[in-house]
Amino acid sequence: MKNLSIKSNSEKLIKMVIAGYVSQPSFRSPGYIPDNNGKSVIFPGMYGISNNIKVGDKAFGWAADHVEPGVSIDSPKNEEHHALHYLVCTGNKAIIRTGEAKGKVGIVTGEHARLLVHFEKKILNKICIGDQIDIISHGRGLKLSDFPNIELKKVSPKLLKSLNLKIKHNKLIVDAAIELPIKIMGSGAELNSEYVDQDLMSGDKKLIKKYKIDQMRLGDIIVIDHADHRWGRSYKKDYISIAICIHGDSVMTGHGPGIMTIMTGGKDSLSWKINKKANIANYLKIDK
Amino acid sequence: MIAKTNKNLLIEMSVMGNVSQPNFPGLPSEPYKLDSNGSPFLLPTWGSITHNISVGDSAFGWEADCIHPGVSIKYENDNGNRGLNILSCIGNEAIIFSGEAKNSKGVVTGKSGRFSEQVIIHFPKKIREKIAINDKILIKSLGVGLKINNFKNIHCKSLSPILFEEMNIKIKNNKLLIPIKNSIPSHLIGAGAGLTSESGSIHIQTSDKNEVEKYNLKKLNLGDIVLIENYDSRYQHGYLQNSCGIAVIGQTDGPRSGYGPGLTLIMTGTYKEIQTKLYSEANIKKYLNLKE
Repeated sequence: MKNLSIKSNSEKLIKMVIAGYVSQPSFRSPGYIPDNNGKSVIFPGMYGISNNIKVGDKAFGWAADHVEPGVSIDSPKNEEHHALHYLVCTGNKAIIRTGEAKGKVGIVTGEHARLLVHFEKKILNKICIGDQIDIISHGRGLKLSDFPNIELKKVSPKLLKSLNLKIKHNKLIVDAAIELPIKIMGSGAELNSEYVDQDLMSGDKKLIKKYKIDQMRLGDIIVIDHADHRWGRSYKKDYISIAICIHGDSVMTGHGPGIMTIMTGGKDSLSWKINKKANIANYLKIDK
Repeated sequence: MIAKTNKNLLIEMSVMGNVSQPNFPGLPSEPYKLDSNGSPFLLPTWGSITHNISVGDSAFGWEADCIHPGVSIKYENDNGNRGLNILSCIGNEAIIFSGEAKNSKGVVTGKSGRFSEQVIIHFPKKIREKIAINDKILIKSLGVGLKINNFKNIHCKSLSPILFEEMNIKIKNNKLLIPIKNSIPSHLIGAGAGLTSESGSIHIQTSDKNEVEKYNLKKLNLGDIVLIENYDSRYQHGYLQNSCGIAVIGQTDGPRSGYGPGLTLIMTGTYKEIQTKLYSEANIKKYLNLKE
Protein backbone atom coordinates (compact mmCIF):
# COMPACT_ATOMS: atom_id res chain seq x y z
CA MET A 1 0.00 0.00 0.00
CA LYS A 2 1.43 3.34 -1.08
CA ASN A 3 1.25 6.27 1.27
CA LEU A 4 1.94 8.92 -1.32
CA SER A 5 0.76 12.40 -0.74
CA ILE A 6 -2.62 12.56 -2.37
CA LYS A 7 -2.60 15.17 -5.10
CA SER A 8 -5.35 17.77 -5.19
CA ASN A 9 -6.17 21.18 -6.60
CA SER A 10 -6.00 22.80 -3.14
CA GLU A 11 -3.78 25.67 -4.33
CA LYS A 12 -6.59 26.79 -6.67
CA LEU A 13 -9.23 27.17 -3.95
CA ILE A 14 -10.62 30.40 -2.56
CA LYS A 15 -10.49 31.31 1.11
CA MET A 16 -13.57 33.37 1.86
CA VAL A 17 -14.89 34.61 5.17
CA ILE A 18 -18.50 34.00 6.13
CA ALA A 19 -20.17 34.90 9.42
CA GLY A 20 -22.55 32.89 11.56
CA TYR A 21 -24.08 33.65 14.94
CA VAL A 22 -24.28 31.40 17.99
CA SER A 23 -27.80 29.94 17.98
CA GLN A 24 -30.36 29.79 20.78
CA PRO A 25 -32.08 26.45 21.55
CA SER A 26 -35.60 26.51 20.09
CA PHE A 27 -38.71 24.41 20.60
CA ARG A 28 -42.15 24.32 19.12
CA SER A 29 -44.98 24.24 21.65
CA PRO A 30 -45.80 21.82 23.27
CA GLY A 31 -42.24 20.50 22.80
CA TYR A 32 -43.00 16.80 22.98
CA ILE A 33 -41.70 14.44 20.34
CA PRO A 34 -42.83 10.80 20.07
CA ASP A 35 -40.07 8.24 20.56
CA ASN A 36 -39.84 4.97 18.60
CA ASN A 37 -42.62 3.46 20.69
CA GLY A 38 -44.89 6.46 20.79
CA LYS A 39 -43.90 7.73 24.22
CA SER A 40 -43.77 11.53 24.29
CA VAL A 41 -40.51 13.05 25.48
CA ILE A 42 -38.75 16.42 25.66
CA PHE A 43 -34.96 16.48 25.31
CA PRO A 44 -32.29 19.10 24.75
CA GLY A 45 -30.21 18.63 21.64
CA MET A 46 -30.15 20.84 18.63
CA TYR A 47 -28.82 24.41 18.53
CA GLY A 48 -26.92 26.37 21.16
CA ILE A 49 -23.68 25.64 22.97
CA SER A 50 -23.19 22.10 24.26
CA ASN A 51 -20.78 22.66 27.11
CA ASN A 52 -20.21 19.01 27.90
CA ILE A 53 -20.49 17.27 24.51
CA LYS A 54 -17.64 17.45 22.04
CA VAL A 55 -16.35 15.68 18.96
CA GLY A 56 -14.81 12.37 20.05
CA ASP A 57 -17.54 11.71 22.63
CA LYS A 58 -20.11 8.92 22.24
CA ALA A 59 -22.92 9.38 19.73
CA PHE A 60 -25.33 7.14 21.68
CA GLY A 61 -26.60 7.11 25.22
CA TRP A 62 -27.07 10.80 26.04
CA ALA A 63 -30.33 12.12 27.47
CA ALA A 64 -30.62 14.19 24.32
CA ASP A 65 -32.07 14.25 20.85
CA HIS A 66 -29.87 15.11 17.84
CA VAL A 67 -27.28 16.61 20.20
CA GLU A 68 -24.78 18.85 18.39
CA PRO A 69 -21.24 18.92 19.85
CA GLY A 70 -19.69 22.30 20.62
CA VAL A 71 -21.14 25.53 19.30
CA SER A 72 -23.93 25.62 16.69
CA ILE A 73 -23.98 28.72 14.52
CA ASP A 74 -26.35 29.91 11.83
CA SER A 75 -27.63 33.07 10.18
CA PRO A 76 -31.27 34.16 10.43
CA LYS A 77 -31.12 35.29 6.79
CA ASN A 78 -32.09 32.46 4.45
CA GLU A 79 -29.46 33.29 1.79
CA GLU A 80 -26.69 33.51 4.40
CA HIS A 81 -27.87 30.25 5.97
CA HIS A 82 -27.39 28.51 2.62
CA ALA A 83 -24.06 30.23 1.97
CA LEU A 84 -22.83 28.86 5.32
CA HIS A 85 -23.96 25.37 4.32
CA TYR A 86 -22.52 25.47 0.82
CA LEU A 87 -19.15 27.14 1.54
CA VAL A 88 -18.01 26.01 4.98
CA CYS A 89 -15.90 22.84 5.14
CA THR A 90 -14.84 20.53 7.94
CA GLY A 91 -11.51 21.65 9.37
CA ASN A 92 -12.02 25.35 8.55
CA LYS A 93 -10.76 27.94 11.00
CA ALA A 94 -13.37 29.82 13.06
CA ILE A 95 -12.66 33.18 14.73
CA ILE A 96 -14.92 34.73 17.37
CA ARG A 97 -15.51 38.39 16.42
CA THR A 98 -17.73 39.72 19.21
CA GLY A 99 -18.28 39.28 22.94
CA GLU A 100 -16.12 38.06 25.81
CA ALA A 101 -14.31 35.46 23.73
CA LYS A 102 -13.44 37.87 20.91
CA GLY A 103 -10.36 36.79 18.97
CA LYS A 104 -10.43 33.16 20.10
CA VAL A 105 -10.02 30.49 17.46
CA GLY A 106 -11.93 27.23 16.92
CA ILE A 107 -12.40 24.65 14.19
CA VAL A 108 -15.40 23.55 12.12
CA THR A 109 -16.28 19.91 12.82
CA GLY A 110 -19.23 19.54 10.44
CA GLU A 111 -22.73 20.71 9.81
CA HIS A 112 -26.21 19.74 10.86
CA ALA A 113 -29.10 22.17 10.42
CA ARG A 114 -26.51 24.62 11.73
CA LEU A 115 -22.71 24.72 11.40
CA LEU A 116 -20.83 23.03 14.23
CA VAL A 117 -17.68 24.60 15.67
CA HIS A 118 -15.34 23.21 18.32
CA PHE A 119 -13.69 25.46 20.91
CA GLU A 120 -11.64 24.59 23.96
CA LYS A 121 -13.75 24.23 27.07
CA LYS A 122 -12.37 27.33 28.78
CA ILE A 123 -13.38 29.37 25.70
CA LEU A 124 -16.88 27.84 25.64
CA ASN A 125 -17.61 29.41 29.02
CA LYS A 126 -17.11 32.87 27.55
CA ILE A 127 -19.27 32.45 24.46
CA CYS A 128 -22.72 34.03 24.49
CA ILE A 129 -25.77 33.31 22.33
CA GLY A 130 -25.71 35.70 19.38
CA ASP A 131 -21.90 36.12 19.28
CA GLN A 132 -20.57 36.47 15.74
CA ILE A 133 -18.20 33.75 14.59
CA ASP A 134 -16.42 34.17 11.24
CA ILE A 135 -15.42 31.07 9.33
CA ILE A 136 -12.56 31.21 6.86
CA SER A 137 -14.25 28.90 4.39
CA HIS A 138 -11.83 26.84 2.33
CA GLY A 139 -12.51 23.60 0.44
CA ARG A 140 -15.46 24.18 -1.90
CA GLY A 141 -14.26 22.96 -5.32
CA LEU A 142 -11.63 20.61 -3.91
CA LYS A 143 -10.82 17.73 -6.25
CA LEU A 144 -8.41 14.81 -6.21
CA SER A 145 -6.14 15.07 -9.26
CA ASP A 146 -5.79 11.31 -9.74
CA PHE A 147 -9.40 10.42 -8.85
CA PRO A 148 -11.67 12.62 -10.95
CA ASN A 149 -14.69 10.40 -10.25
CA ILE A 150 -14.49 10.74 -6.48
CA GLU A 151 -16.59 13.65 -5.30
CA LEU A 152 -15.48 15.53 -2.19
CA LYS A 153 -17.93 17.46 -0.05
CA LYS A 154 -17.20 19.82 2.82
CA VAL A 155 -13.60 18.62 3.02
CA SER A 156 -11.04 21.34 3.72
CA PRO A 157 -7.50 20.82 2.42
CA LYS A 158 -6.50 20.58 6.09
CA LEU A 159 -8.88 17.65 6.71
CA LEU A 160 -7.87 16.00 3.42
CA LYS A 161 -4.21 16.00 4.46
CA SER A 162 -4.98 14.52 7.86
CA LEU A 163 -7.25 11.68 6.70
CA ASN A 164 -4.44 9.12 6.33
CA LEU A 165 -5.56 8.27 2.78
CA LYS A 166 -3.78 5.47 0.96
CA ILE A 167 -3.71 4.21 -2.60
CA LYS A 168 -3.91 0.49 -3.29
CA HIS A 169 -4.47 -1.09 -6.72
CA ASN A 170 -5.31 2.36 -8.06
CA LYS A 171 -8.08 2.80 -5.51
CA LEU A 172 -8.25 5.42 -2.82
CA ILE A 173 -8.48 3.72 0.59
CA VAL A 174 -10.14 5.64 3.42
CA ASP A 175 -9.98 4.54 7.05
CA ALA A 176 -13.48 4.22 8.52
CA ALA A 177 -14.47 3.42 12.12
CA ILE A 178 -17.82 1.79 11.30
CA GLU A 179 -19.68 0.45 8.27
CA LEU A 180 -23.41 1.20 8.09
CA PRO A 181 -25.86 -0.97 6.14
CA ILE A 182 -27.71 1.03 3.46
CA LYS A 183 -31.12 -0.17 4.61
CA ILE A 184 -30.91 1.90 7.81
CA MET A 185 -30.15 5.21 6.07
CA GLY A 186 -33.12 7.44 6.83
CA SER A 187 -34.09 11.07 7.26
CA GLY A 188 -32.18 13.28 4.84
CA ALA A 189 -32.86 11.18 1.73
CA GLU A 190 -35.15 14.04 0.67
CA LEU A 191 -32.33 16.64 0.74
CA ASN A 192 -29.53 17.42 -1.68
CA SER A 193 -26.26 16.00 -0.44
CA GLU A 194 -24.51 19.38 -0.23
CA TYR A 195 -26.92 20.31 2.55
CA VAL A 196 -26.80 19.09 6.15
CA ASP A 197 -26.73 15.33 6.83
CA GLN A 198 -28.58 12.04 6.70
CA ASP A 199 -29.58 10.18 9.87
CA LEU A 200 -28.95 6.51 10.30
CA MET A 201 -32.14 4.95 11.66
CA SER A 202 -31.42 3.65 15.15
CA GLY A 203 -34.95 2.36 15.83
CA ASP A 204 -34.05 -1.30 15.24
CA LYS A 205 -32.08 -1.73 18.46
CA LYS A 206 -31.16 -5.37 17.71
CA LEU A 207 -29.58 -4.41 14.43
CA ILE A 208 -27.74 -1.44 15.98
CA LYS A 209 -26.29 -3.74 18.64
CA LYS A 210 -25.45 -6.54 16.19
CA TYR A 211 -23.37 -4.26 13.99
CA LYS A 212 -21.91 -2.44 17.03
CA ILE A 213 -23.19 0.83 15.65
CA ASP A 214 -23.94 1.87 19.24
CA GLN A 215 -20.17 2.22 19.71
CA MET A 216 -20.15 5.12 17.27
CA ARG A 217 -18.53 8.37 18.33
CA LEU A 218 -19.13 11.93 17.25
CA GLY A 219 -16.50 12.66 14.62
CA ASP A 220 -16.17 9.04 13.48
CA ILE A 221 -15.50 8.51 9.81
CA ILE A 222 -18.10 6.00 8.62
CA VAL A 223 -18.71 4.18 5.35
CA ILE A 224 -21.92 3.11 3.62
CA ASP A 225 -21.70 0.51 0.87
CA HIS A 226 -24.12 0.88 -2.08
CA ALA A 227 -24.83 4.54 -1.29
CA ASP A 228 -24.51 7.20 -3.97
CA HIS A 229 -24.24 10.65 -2.40
CA ARG A 230 -23.15 12.59 -5.47
CA TRP A 231 -26.36 14.54 -6.10
CA GLY A 232 -28.69 13.54 -3.32
CA ARG A 233 -28.50 10.42 -1.20
CA SER A 234 -29.76 7.21 -2.74
CA TYR A 235 -29.27 3.47 -3.10
CA LYS A 236 -26.89 2.58 -5.90
CA LYS A 237 -25.10 -0.72 -6.10
CA ASP A 238 -21.30 -0.47 -6.15
CA TYR A 239 -21.21 3.14 -5.04
CA ILE A 240 -19.57 4.04 -1.74
CA SER A 241 -20.12 7.03 0.48
CA ILE A 242 -17.83 8.18 3.29
CA ALA A 243 -19.22 10.48 5.97
CA ILE A 244 -18.55 11.99 9.40
CA CYS A 245 -20.84 11.38 12.38
CA ILE A 246 -21.87 14.92 13.31
CA HIS A 247 -24.71 14.66 15.84
CA GLY A 248 -25.95 12.28 18.50
CA ASP A 249 -28.71 9.69 18.50
CA SER A 250 -32.41 10.47 18.33
CA VAL A 251 -35.47 8.83 19.83
CA MET A 252 -37.55 9.54 16.73
CA THR A 253 -38.42 6.88 14.19
CA GLY A 254 -36.37 7.26 11.01
CA HIS A 255 -33.73 9.24 12.91
CA GLY A 256 -30.51 8.52 14.78
CA PRO A 257 -26.96 9.88 14.72
CA GLY A 258 -26.40 12.11 11.69
CA ILE A 259 -23.73 11.47 9.12
CA MET A 260 -22.42 14.20 6.83
CA THR A 261 -21.06 13.15 3.45
CA ILE A 262 -17.41 13.92 2.71
CA MET A 263 -16.65 11.57 -0.16
CA THR A 264 -18.60 9.53 -2.67
CA GLY A 265 -17.68 7.50 -5.72
CA GLY A 266 -17.74 4.14 -7.44
CA LYS A 267 -16.16 0.94 -6.14
CA ASP A 268 -13.69 1.05 -9.02
CA SER A 269 -11.91 4.04 -7.47
CA LEU A 270 -12.91 4.20 -3.79
CA SER A 271 -12.63 1.70 -0.94
CA TRP A 272 -12.20 1.58 2.83
CA LYS A 273 -10.40 -0.11 5.68
CA ILE A 274 -11.90 -0.43 9.15
CA ASN A 275 -9.88 1.48 11.73
CA LYS A 276 -11.60 2.22 15.03
CA LYS A 277 -9.48 5.34 15.52
CA ALA A 278 -10.76 6.96 12.32
CA ASN A 279 -12.23 10.03 14.00
CA ILE A 280 -11.72 13.69 13.19
CA ALA A 281 -10.92 14.39 16.85
CA ASN A 282 -7.72 12.43 16.21
CA TYR A 283 -7.14 13.73 12.69
CA LEU A 284 -7.66 17.40 13.49
CA LYS A 285 -6.02 17.06 16.93
CA ILE A 286 -9.10 18.39 18.65
CA ASP A 287 -8.04 18.86 22.24
CA LYS A 288 -10.00 17.22 25.00
CA MET B 1 -64.11 -13.32 8.14
CA ILE B 2 -64.51 -9.61 7.40
CA ALA B 3 -62.56 -7.09 9.50
CA LYS B 4 -64.68 -4.56 11.38
CA THR B 5 -63.75 -1.06 12.56
CA ASN B 6 -64.79 1.74 14.91
CA LYS B 7 -66.04 3.81 11.96
CA ASN B 8 -69.24 4.84 13.77
CA LEU B 9 -67.16 6.75 16.32
CA LEU B 10 -65.21 8.86 13.82
CA ILE B 11 -65.71 12.58 13.23
CA GLU B 12 -66.52 13.91 9.79
CA MET B 13 -64.96 17.37 9.56
CA SER B 14 -64.53 19.83 6.69
CA VAL B 15 -61.06 20.97 5.65
CA MET B 16 -60.27 23.22 2.74
CA GLY B 17 -57.53 23.90 0.24
CA ASN B 18 -57.03 25.87 -2.96
CA VAL B 19 -55.90 24.39 -6.25
CA SER B 20 -52.15 24.98 -6.23
CA GLN B 21 -49.90 26.63 -8.78
CA PRO B 22 -46.71 24.79 -9.86
CA ASN B 23 -43.56 26.22 -8.22
CA PHE B 24 -40.01 26.45 -9.55
CA PRO B 25 -36.77 27.61 -7.92
CA GLY B 26 -35.51 31.13 -8.65
CA LEU B 27 -32.07 32.38 -9.67
CA PRO B 28 -29.27 31.37 -9.83
CA SER B 29 -30.16 27.72 -10.52
CA GLU B 30 -33.47 28.71 -12.09
CA PRO B 31 -35.37 26.78 -13.32
CA TYR B 32 -33.47 23.49 -13.13
CA LYS B 33 -33.41 20.66 -10.66
CA LEU B 34 -30.77 17.91 -10.61
CA ASP B 35 -31.24 14.30 -11.59
CA SER B 36 -29.43 11.47 -9.81
CA ASN B 37 -26.49 11.78 -12.22
CA GLY B 38 -26.04 15.47 -11.55
CA SER B 39 -27.53 16.70 -14.80
CA PRO B 40 -29.93 19.63 -14.69
CA PHE B 41 -33.43 18.78 -15.85
CA LEU B 42 -36.58 20.73 -16.49
CA LEU B 43 -39.85 18.82 -16.33
CA PRO B 44 -43.37 19.41 -15.06
CA THR B 45 -43.56 18.69 -11.36
CA TRP B 46 -46.04 18.45 -8.46
CA GLY B 47 -49.11 20.62 -7.94
CA SER B 48 -51.76 22.10 -10.22
CA ILE B 49 -54.32 20.27 -12.37
CA THR B 50 -52.87 17.40 -14.36
CA HIS B 51 -55.22 16.80 -17.24
CA ASN B 52 -53.80 13.67 -18.80
CA ILE B 53 -52.59 11.58 -15.86
CA SER B 54 -55.03 9.82 -13.56
CA VAL B 55 -55.07 7.20 -10.84
CA GLY B 56 -54.80 3.85 -12.63
CA ASP B 57 -52.19 5.10 -15.13
CA SER B 58 -48.58 3.93 -14.99
CA ALA B 59 -46.41 5.41 -12.23
CA PHE B 60 -43.36 5.12 -14.51
CA GLY B 61 -42.20 6.42 -17.85
CA TRP B 62 -43.65 9.94 -17.89
CA GLU B 63 -41.52 12.98 -18.66
CA ALA B 64 -42.27 14.19 -15.17
CA ASP B 65 -40.91 14.69 -11.66
CA CYS B 66 -43.23 13.14 -9.06
CA ILE B 67 -46.38 14.34 -10.84
CA HIS B 68 -49.67 14.24 -8.95
CA PRO B 69 -52.58 12.76 -10.92
CA GLY B 70 -55.72 14.90 -11.06
CA VAL B 71 -55.89 18.00 -8.86
CA SER B 72 -53.58 19.14 -6.02
CA ILE B 73 -54.64 21.48 -3.27
CA LYS B 74 -52.94 23.37 -0.46
CA TYR B 75 -54.07 25.79 2.25
CA GLU B 76 -52.41 29.20 2.39
CA ASN B 77 -50.96 29.11 5.90
CA ASP B 78 -48.70 26.35 7.22
CA ASN B 79 -50.70 25.23 10.25
CA GLY B 80 -53.96 25.24 8.32
CA ASN B 81 -52.23 23.25 5.61
CA ARG B 82 -51.10 20.71 8.22
CA GLY B 83 -54.74 20.39 9.23
CA LEU B 84 -55.71 19.76 5.62
CA ASN B 85 -52.88 17.25 5.19
CA ILE B 86 -53.38 15.31 8.39
CA LEU B 87 -57.18 15.04 8.39
CA SER B 88 -57.69 14.23 4.70
CA CYS B 89 -57.93 10.50 4.09
CA ILE B 90 -57.82 8.46 0.91
CA GLY B 91 -61.39 7.87 -0.17
CA ASN B 92 -62.78 11.12 1.33
CA GLU B 93 -65.22 13.12 -0.73
CA ALA B 94 -64.04 16.47 -2.14
CA ILE B 95 -66.46 19.18 -3.24
CA ILE B 96 -65.57 22.21 -5.36
CA PHE B 97 -66.85 25.41 -3.72
CA SER B 98 -65.90 28.11 -6.24
CA GLY B 99 -65.43 28.64 -9.98
CA GLU B 100 -66.88 26.99 -13.06
CA ALA B 101 -66.81 23.49 -11.60
CA LYS B 102 -68.63 24.48 -8.41
CA ASN B 103 -70.49 21.60 -6.72
CA SER B 104 -68.57 18.92 -8.67
CA LYS B 105 -67.39 16.02 -6.55
CA GLY B 106 -64.07 14.24 -6.42
CA VAL B 107 -62.20 11.75 -4.22
CA VAL B 108 -58.94 12.09 -2.23
CA THR B 109 -56.30 9.70 -3.64
CA GLY B 110 -53.04 10.68 -1.94
CA LYS B 111 -50.81 13.20 -0.20
CA SER B 112 -47.37 14.64 -0.80
CA GLY B 113 -44.55 15.32 1.65
CA ARG B 114 -41.78 17.77 2.60
CA PHE B 115 -41.33 20.72 0.19
CA SER B 116 -44.74 20.06 -1.39
CA GLU B 117 -47.34 19.14 1.26
CA GLN B 118 -50.42 18.88 -0.92
CA VAL B 119 -53.53 16.73 -0.99
CA ILE B 120 -54.20 14.94 -4.28
CA ILE B 121 -57.78 14.59 -5.54
CA HIS B 122 -59.28 12.69 -8.43
CA PHE B 123 -61.88 14.40 -10.61
CA PRO B 124 -63.12 13.03 -13.94
CA LYS B 125 -61.24 14.59 -16.87
CA LYS B 126 -64.26 16.57 -18.07
CA ILE B 127 -64.55 18.29 -14.70
CA ARG B 128 -60.79 19.03 -14.65
CA GLU B 129 -61.33 21.19 -17.76
CA LYS B 130 -63.46 23.58 -15.70
CA ILE B 131 -61.21 23.82 -12.63
CA ALA B 132 -58.98 26.88 -12.21
CA ILE B 133 -55.91 27.50 -10.09
CA ASN B 134 -56.98 28.81 -6.65
CA ASP B 135 -60.45 27.26 -6.82
CA LYS B 136 -61.65 26.31 -3.36
CA ILE B 137 -62.06 22.61 -2.66
CA LEU B 138 -63.58 21.32 0.55
CA ILE B 139 -62.86 17.83 1.81
CA LYS B 140 -65.22 16.07 4.16
CA SER B 141 -62.42 14.47 6.13
CA LEU B 142 -63.18 11.18 7.81
CA GLY B 143 -60.76 8.50 8.95
CA VAL B 144 -58.33 9.90 11.52
CA GLY B 145 -58.84 7.73 14.61
CA LEU B 146 -59.82 4.66 12.60
CA LYS B 147 -59.09 1.41 14.43
CA ILE B 148 -59.60 -2.17 13.38
CA ASN B 149 -61.47 -4.30 15.92
CA ASN B 150 -59.20 -6.91 17.56
CA PHE B 151 -56.09 -5.48 15.84
CA LYS B 152 -55.14 -2.73 18.24
CA ASN B 153 -51.49 -2.77 17.17
CA ILE B 154 -52.27 -1.93 13.59
CA HIS B 155 -52.24 1.84 13.11
CA CYS B 156 -54.39 3.28 10.33
CA LYS B 157 -53.45 6.62 8.78
CA SER B 158 -54.90 8.65 5.90
CA LEU B 159 -57.36 5.79 5.50
CA SER B 160 -61.10 6.39 5.16
CA PRO B 161 -63.48 3.63 6.33
CA ILE B 162 -64.84 3.58 2.77
CA LEU B 163 -61.49 2.55 1.30
CA PHE B 164 -60.80 0.10 4.13
CA GLU B 165 -64.07 -1.70 3.46
CA GLU B 166 -63.44 -1.91 -0.29
CA MET B 167 -59.94 -3.40 -0.01
CA ASN B 168 -61.18 -7.00 0.34
CA ILE B 169 -59.37 -7.42 3.64
CA LYS B 170 -60.12 -10.72 5.36
CA ILE B 171 -59.15 -12.14 8.71
CA LYS B 172 -57.29 -15.43 8.38
CA ASN B 173 -55.37 -17.22 11.15
CA ASN B 174 -55.77 -14.13 13.35
CA LYS B 175 -54.03 -11.97 10.77
CA LEU B 176 -55.35 -9.35 8.43
CA LEU B 177 -54.96 -10.68 4.91
CA ILE B 178 -54.48 -7.68 2.63
CA PRO B 179 -54.41 -7.89 -1.18
CA ILE B 180 -51.44 -5.94 -2.63
CA LYS B 181 -50.01 -5.32 -6.07
CA ASN B 182 -46.32 -5.59 -5.09
CA SER B 183 -43.75 -5.42 -2.26
CA ILE B 184 -41.09 -2.75 -1.85
CA PRO B 185 -37.87 -3.81 -0.06
CA SER B 186 -36.63 -1.43 2.65
CA HIS B 187 -33.39 -0.51 0.87
CA LEU B 188 -35.42 0.99 -1.96
CA ILE B 189 -37.30 3.35 0.36
CA GLY B 190 -35.85 6.85 0.12
CA ALA B 191 -37.20 10.35 0.71
CA GLY B 192 -39.68 10.50 3.57
CA ALA B 193 -37.79 8.30 6.05
CA GLY B 194 -37.80 10.09 9.41
CA LEU B 195 -40.60 12.40 8.30
CA THR B 196 -44.22 12.30 9.39
CA SER B 197 -46.30 9.25 8.54
CA GLU B 198 -49.55 11.10 9.26
CA SER B 199 -49.56 13.37 6.26
CA GLY B 200 -46.68 13.31 3.80
CA SER B 201 -45.43 10.81 1.28
CA ILE B 202 -42.60 8.30 1.46
CA HIS B 203 -40.90 7.52 -1.84
CA ILE B 204 -39.68 4.42 -3.60
CA GLN B 205 -36.20 5.36 -4.84
CA THR B 206 -35.41 4.47 -8.43
CA SER B 207 -31.90 5.77 -9.23
CA ASP B 208 -30.60 2.20 -9.46
CA LYS B 209 -32.37 0.99 -12.60
CA ASN B 210 -31.19 -2.61 -12.14
CA GLU B 211 -32.96 -2.80 -8.77
CA VAL B 212 -36.12 -1.34 -10.28
CA GLU B 213 -35.98 -4.13 -12.84
CA LYS B 214 -35.14 -6.81 -10.26
CA TYR B 215 -38.18 -6.04 -8.09
CA ASN B 216 -40.45 -5.58 -11.09
CA LEU B 217 -41.41 -2.08 -10.01
CA LYS B 218 -42.07 -0.68 -13.49
CA LYS B 219 -45.40 -2.46 -13.62
CA LEU B 220 -46.69 -0.27 -10.78
CA ASN B 221 -49.60 2.06 -11.44
CA LEU B 222 -50.85 5.13 -9.64
CA GLY B 223 -53.34 3.98 -7.02
CA ASP B 224 -51.75 0.55 -6.51
CA ILE B 225 -51.73 -0.84 -2.97
CA VAL B 226 -48.22 -1.99 -2.00
CA LEU B 227 -46.40 -3.48 0.97
CA ILE B 228 -43.39 -1.63 2.46
CA GLU B 229 -41.17 -4.35 3.95
CA ASN B 230 -39.49 -3.99 7.36
CA TYR B 231 -40.64 -0.42 7.98
CA ASP B 232 -42.33 0.94 11.09
CA SER B 233 -44.58 3.92 10.36
CA ARG B 234 -46.45 4.26 13.64
CA TYR B 235 -44.68 7.50 14.51
CA GLN B 236 -42.85 8.70 11.38
CA HIS B 237 -41.28 6.26 8.93
CA GLY B 238 -38.21 4.18 9.80
CA TYR B 239 -36.52 0.80 9.33
CA LEU B 240 -37.59 -1.92 11.76
CA GLN B 241 -37.29 -5.59 11.03
CA ASN B 242 -40.62 -7.48 11.12
CA SER B 243 -42.67 -4.29 10.88
CA CYS B 244 -44.39 -3.38 7.67
CA GLY B 245 -46.62 -0.82 6.04
CA ILE B 246 -49.44 -0.80 3.53
CA ALA B 247 -49.42 2.20 1.20
CA VAL B 248 -51.05 3.64 -1.91
CA ILE B 249 -48.99 4.95 -4.84
CA GLY B 250 -49.97 8.61 -4.96
CA GLN B 251 -47.58 10.23 -7.44
CA THR B 252 -45.29 9.25 -10.33
CA ASP B 253 -41.60 8.46 -10.58
CA GLY B 254 -39.09 11.28 -10.97
CA PRO B 255 -35.41 11.71 -11.85
CA ARG B 256 -34.14 13.13 -8.52
CA SER B 257 -31.88 11.09 -6.25
CA GLY B 258 -33.86 9.47 -3.41
CA TYR B 259 -37.15 10.08 -5.17
CA GLY B 260 -39.38 7.83 -7.22
CA PRO B 261 -43.09 7.09 -6.99
CA GLY B 262 -44.55 8.53 -3.78
CA LEU B 263 -46.51 6.42 -1.31
CA THR B 264 -49.25 7.49 1.07
CA LEU B 265 -49.14 5.16 4.06
CA ILE B 266 -52.52 3.78 5.14
CA MET B 267 -51.66 1.01 7.63
CA THR B 268 -48.65 -0.04 9.68
CA GLY B 269 -48.07 -2.98 12.00
CA THR B 270 -46.01 -6.15 12.22
CA TYR B 271 -45.98 -9.40 10.29
CA LYS B 272 -47.61 -10.97 13.35
CA GLU B 273 -50.83 -9.22 12.39
CA ILE B 274 -50.43 -8.30 8.74
CA GLN B 275 -50.22 -10.79 5.91
CA THR B 276 -50.45 -9.89 2.25
CA LYS B 277 -51.32 -11.68 -0.94
CA LEU B 278 -50.59 -10.58 -4.48
CA TYR B 279 -53.63 -9.37 -6.38
CA SER B 280 -53.18 -7.76 -9.78
CA GLU B 281 -56.19 -5.47 -9.32
CA ALA B 282 -55.28 -4.08 -5.89
CA ASN B 283 -55.75 -0.46 -6.93
CA ILE B 284 -57.89 2.33 -5.49
CA LYS B 285 -59.26 3.20 -8.93
CA LYS B 286 -61.24 -0.03 -8.74
CA TYR B 287 -61.90 0.11 -5.00
CA LEU B 288 -63.19 3.71 -5.02
CA ASN B 289 -64.81 3.41 -8.43
CA LEU B 290 -62.98 6.45 -9.83
CA LYS B 291 -64.54 7.63 -13.09
CA GLU B 292 -62.49 8.58 -16.15
